[in-house]
Amino acid sequence: MARRGHPPTDALEQQATVRVVWRHQLLVRVSHWLNVPLLLGLVLSGISIYWASPVFQHRADPRTGIFDPFADIGIWLCANVPGMHNYDSPPDWVYNHLSLGPGMLAPALRLHWLCAYLFMLNGLVYVVGLVAGGGWRSLLPRPTDIRDAWSMLRYYVGLPFARLARRPYPHPQYDTKYNALQRAAYFSVPLIAFLSVATGWVLHKPMQLYWLAKLFGGYDTARILHFWLMCVYPLFLIPHLVLVFADGWDTLRSMIVGWSARVRGTPK
Amino acid sequence: MTDRDPRTSSMRAPGTGSFFRERPEQPLEVSSRLVHRSSRRDVLLFGAGAVVTLVGTGSLLPQATLGRLGLAPTNQDRTKREWLLNEALRLDDDIAEALYSRDRMVPTYDKTRITPLKNNYNGATPDPGYIPEWRLILDGLASGVTRSLSIRNLLTSFSVHDQVTRLVCVEGWSAVAWWSGLRFGDLVHAYPPVSQAKWARVESSVNVDATGNRDPYFVSLDLATACHSQTLLATNLNGQPLTVEHGAPLRLVAPMKLGLKNVKAITRISYAAEEPMDYWATRGYSRYDGL
Repeated sequence: MARRGHPPTDALEQQATVRVVWRHQLLVRVSHWLNVPLLLGLVLSGISIYWASPVFQHRADPRTGIFDPFADIGIWLCANVPGMHNYDSPPDWVYNHLSLGPGMLAPALRLHWLCAYLFMLNGLVYVVGLVAGGGWRSLLPRPTDIRDAWSMLRYYVGLPFARLARRPYPHPQYDTKYNALQRAAYFSVPLIAFLSVATGWVLHKPMQLYWLAKLFGGYDTARILHFWLMCVYPLFLIPHLVLVFADGWDTLRSMIVGWSARVRGTPK
Repeated sequence: MTDRDPRTSSMRAPGTGSFFRERPEQPLEVSSRLVHRSSRRDVLLFGAGAVVTLVGTGSLLPQATLGRLGLAPTNQDRTKREWLLNEALRLDDDIAEALYSRDRMVPTYDKTRITPLKNNYNGATPDPGYIPEWRLILDGLASGVTRSLSIRNLLTSFSVHDQVTRLVCVEGWSAVAWWSGLRFGDLVHAYPPVSQAKWARVESSVNVDATGNRDPYFVSLDLATACHSQTLLATNLNGQPLTVEHGAPLRLVAPMKLGLKNVKAITRISYAAEEPMDYWATRGYSRYDGL
């Protein structure tokens, strides 16, 4: 064997080391990636369920009889976006592209329950693990967070301009696991998820859980809340994805493998 | 810095019971071979998980949805393919049944809170010709006899109860309505079912589909729900006798169940030991439908 014949090479290889730092424990990584298909399933089936009885309505158009703002959006898109003029049912465009499709209430409900139970289980394991392992501490907002979040926000907004002008643009310094904006996001998204689950139970069992329904202003109000809470996920997702890709492969990889090669204070 | 030998230091957390433990953000000096090996393993696992999820999604999404995505529908048996979805539905039904209590009252409202109630017949509204000849047939009784009752029989032998409750539809809308009628439980008491009976099959034989053809509508109702004091066989809506749109002359009002269990124009109630068929359960909806 060639390897056996060259013990010095082997020893050298074994001595080669890298400096890494642990970012995400297994629990965080697994629950993070499970949320991707679960939330996608919940949103797609949720919009199918919404389609059965759209709640946001305006006065029906006297000509078309359309009362649904989502139908208006579809009509507008098909009229104004190049390449969409030939779409055969413009009022249904939004639903046809953001749900399971027409007439899918029964399968959508079943998919919604399946994803919802798995989502609750995933959330429960995540919270228990975070509390048991002490990981919650790095997510807890701090008194200085408002000021720090502002400087982070200013950094993100200014970064593209600084790059264009080729000016040096220092990243705000912090010595915590997450910066203030990250803490705000990763602390509030689980709270949003909790509220989504709670309003979901109101819609699902408004009679047995009447006290919960009362807490959220009754069945019809909980339905509106459940809808707006859903809108938070895409609003979170867009900057989340933009920043991960802007930050680079190391950040994305650390959510898969757990460690990061970006060691703070390492001389370059 | 760590004092552990970088060649042997593991990529795993030290010690047992530390699965959840947050590790300090100290830089570790680790053998690059070890890092590469564990990273390759994790990336491969992640990729495998993503593939399994994508393939699994194919079995969870409805055939029509897959067709619209340009994916060829599979020929696999539907019940086999939808096994996981049906298991989730069964679990959900079991949880609903566990949450239910015969002593828990559904919220009632003031009459000022009444909202319009739409005619949600899933097909066409039946021709009112059935109303003059209407009878309620009861079978599966302890006496072994099939009873046939007129609306007069029912209104003279049972006391009438009023309630203003919310009707919640599976489609997501709800309406508050004032119902009057006899208690289902009183009927069960007066005409006792066979002793093994746990279920009632509530049927409307006058139901029609969208084109006006006969399409009997039937639901399964557990006797625990039937005997709840807020489960009515209603004859009046908002102080007026039921119209044909709302199920004249007698309809089920079970506010602790989805609207689809609230059968309009009931023509037959049959008691049974085994769970009867349900119109919507055969169409992919839940069987228990507890709210």
